Order: sequence, then structure tokens, then C-alpha cells
Amino acid sequence: MTYEVKLPSLGEDSVEEATVSYWLVEEGDQVKEGDDLVEMTTDKAAFSVPSPESGTVLEKLVEEGDDVRVGDVLCTLET
Amino acid sequence: MRQPFPDWIRRKWASGEGFSFTKELVKELGLHTVCQSAHCPNMAECWRARTATFMILGNVCSRDCSYCSVRSGRPEPVDGDEPGKIAEAVARMGVRHAVVTSVTRDDLADGGAAQFAETVRAVRAANPETTVEVLTPDFGGDASCVGTVLDAEPEVFGHNVETVERLFGEVRGGRAAYSTSLAVLRAAAGHASRAIVKSGFMVGHGETGEEVARTLSDLLESGCEAVSIGQYLRPTKEQRAVVEYVEPARFEEYEKLAYDLGFSYAIAGPFVRSSYRSEEMMQHGFANRSSSRPGRRVRSRDVMAGEALAAQAGEKAP
Repeated sequence: MTYEVKLPSLGEDSVEEATVSYWLVEEGDQVKEGDDLVEMTTDKAAFSVPSPESGTVLEKLVEEGDDVRVGDVLCTLET
Repeated sequence: MRQPFPDWIRRKWASGEGFSFTKELVKELGLHTVCQSAHCPNMAECWRARTATFMILGNVCSRDCSYCSVRSGRPEPVDGDEPGKIAEAVARMGVRHAVVTSVTRDDLADGGAAQFAETVRAVRAANPETTVEVLTPDFGGDASCVGTVLDAEPEVFGHNVETVERLFGEVRGGRAAYSTSLAVLRAAAGHASRAIVKSGFMVGHGETGEEVARTLSDLLESGCEAVSIGQYLRPTKEQRAVVEYVEPARFEEYEKLAYDLGFSYAIAGPFVRSSYRSEEMMQHGFANRSSSRPGRRVRSRDVMAGEALAAQAGEKAP
């Protein structure tokens, strides 16, 4: 089953967008729930986004340097 | 591209079950949290653990500090139901150590002190086992407002000095003063309440190590027993820029310095915030001792400044 990994919302009034710094995984990699997938940067700090599920990375949908918003799909996983 | 951060300025961006629970509850009860309003980098960790720092008296501040992302303007009317809602949130989240802060309310005669007191009482009534920490504004230095809050007997009274004396004007803005913040702490320390008096400040605004030492001495002299020191991180591009990312080793030095100077509890680190993991202080031995302490040790500013400089030079303080 294909699972979309989205940039999670941290709530109203909170950070809503970030810039992709770099990926920590390649397409085809096996990842476990909690493994860091990608590094993001906001105005405040650098953030790593952990995988919400275990599976295989199918497709990375954002590239380094992209500005992404909460809810955007970062990559897909085959779970 | 955004600016790069040193590798120690890194957090997790994650939600999860506990996070969603906290988020939905905060939304359902219409509460404000400083976690959200200040874009706190620790929010994911704290909310996943079902804890949050509640911000009372609305979401609009009557001050406009240059480091802070809380909205400034004409504050909203005080919500009489707010203390009860906070108490309900604490109960449903199972918070063991509740931290309550607020926006500054220069528009209210008591600066919001009564609302703080009502909130402490409401949380206590609904959650007898929960300890309560308040983190107040400066109330314009009015000791009677401090007294109103402390009459409700929170376990911890916190007021953050936020920065060193030299940078106070540019970091905090016009209405605030370093001496006012020290006066608030002094008023709290002099109150009959047994509350632990706590303060905190940011580094990374361009202060020197000597100024940090002086600030610690000033806080101690004001009767403060617990201190937190953390890295200033700019919430959005609207706020003042970070001057320096202080290395983790220097935070360790600051923490040691605070203990050497005489603080009963000190915590320093890049992501330390006054309310971050604040329940850990309550498990610290001194927190129990504090409830029956006979009186406070107050030393002269000059003696402590001398000790601070000696400690900075790597000598044993007298």
C-alpha cells in the first residue's frame, strides 16, 4: 500500500512552512518508523522529519531548496 | 535558501498520537499556548508527551519585544472561563507539573494578576496532585500584583529577565526595564509564600560571558534560586536576528557557573526554555527542601560579581 508522508501540522499559529535542506534517504531505501527521512529548515531551527511508518521509499516528491508547506507530500512509501 | 544552522540547532518535526491529542484538546478548549505562539522548537517533543505551556489572558500582548513572535496590539477582554478551561486541559492531559504564562496586559489595572491567581486555584482544585508554575510578566514592577499571584500558592514563581542589562532596551523594548524585572523577583522572594523563585534568560543576543555572570549574580541577589539559560532562536524574519549561536560547551560552563555562584537549580542548553522539562526541577532535591526553607540567602552584588569573575577565570569562588 502506498503511503504519503506529509509535512505534519504543528498546530494553529505555529510554523507552516519550511525549506528542504537535504534528503537522508534514497528511493528504494528501507526505512523504519521513526527513522529520519529529510532535513528541513525554518526561520528558527533545523528539523529532521521522521518517517511515520515503516516501508520502502518509493518516490521523493520535493527537492533540496524547495519551500514546502504543512500538508505537502514529501515522499511516498510502500508499506 | 534559509540560513544554515550549526549542527546542534536541530529538532524533530513530528506529530504522532500524543501530539494530535494535545493539539485537538487545545483547539477544542480554545486555549492559547506559548508553544505555538512563540514557534517553540521543543513543541513536537512536549506535545507528544502531552504537556504544554498555557498562555492566559489572550493571545495579544500589550508589549512588542523585538525577539518575540506573540502578536502585539490591543488585547482582548479577559475570559472569565479561562481558569476553568486550563484546569480541564491539565486534568485531561494528565499534566503533573503545569506551567502557566501570559501575555503582558498593561491595559489591566492588576496586569492580569487576579487571572493568574484564579488559574492557579482552578488547576489546584481540579488536580490536587499537580504542581503549578507561573511565569509572569513584570506587572510594571508592582509588588502587590506579585503578591496577588503568590497568595494562590503556586509551587514555582517564575519571571524571566530575558537578557543582560546592556541589551535590555533593544531586546525588550521601551516599557520594560532590567531593574523592574529584578524588583519583581525581589518581591516574590520577599513574599510569605514558599514558592521557588525562578528566572531565565536567552543568550545569543551578543552578550559577553562577563555579562552573563553579572546577570546571574543580579538574579541571585534578587532572591532567585533557580535559573534557566537557553539559545535565542528567531521565530520568524520579523524578529531580531540571532547574533551568535552559543556552543553547547559554553552552556555547560554557564550552568556550572550558576551552581558555583549559589543557585539551587540551574539548567542551560541550546533548547532550554524556562518551561522546557520544568517538571524535572520538581524532582530535584532542592524543590522539596524549598517548601520548608527558613529564609533566603541574600548576598551583596559586589561580592557575587567578584565570585563570578573568579569562577570565570577558573578559580574556586570564595
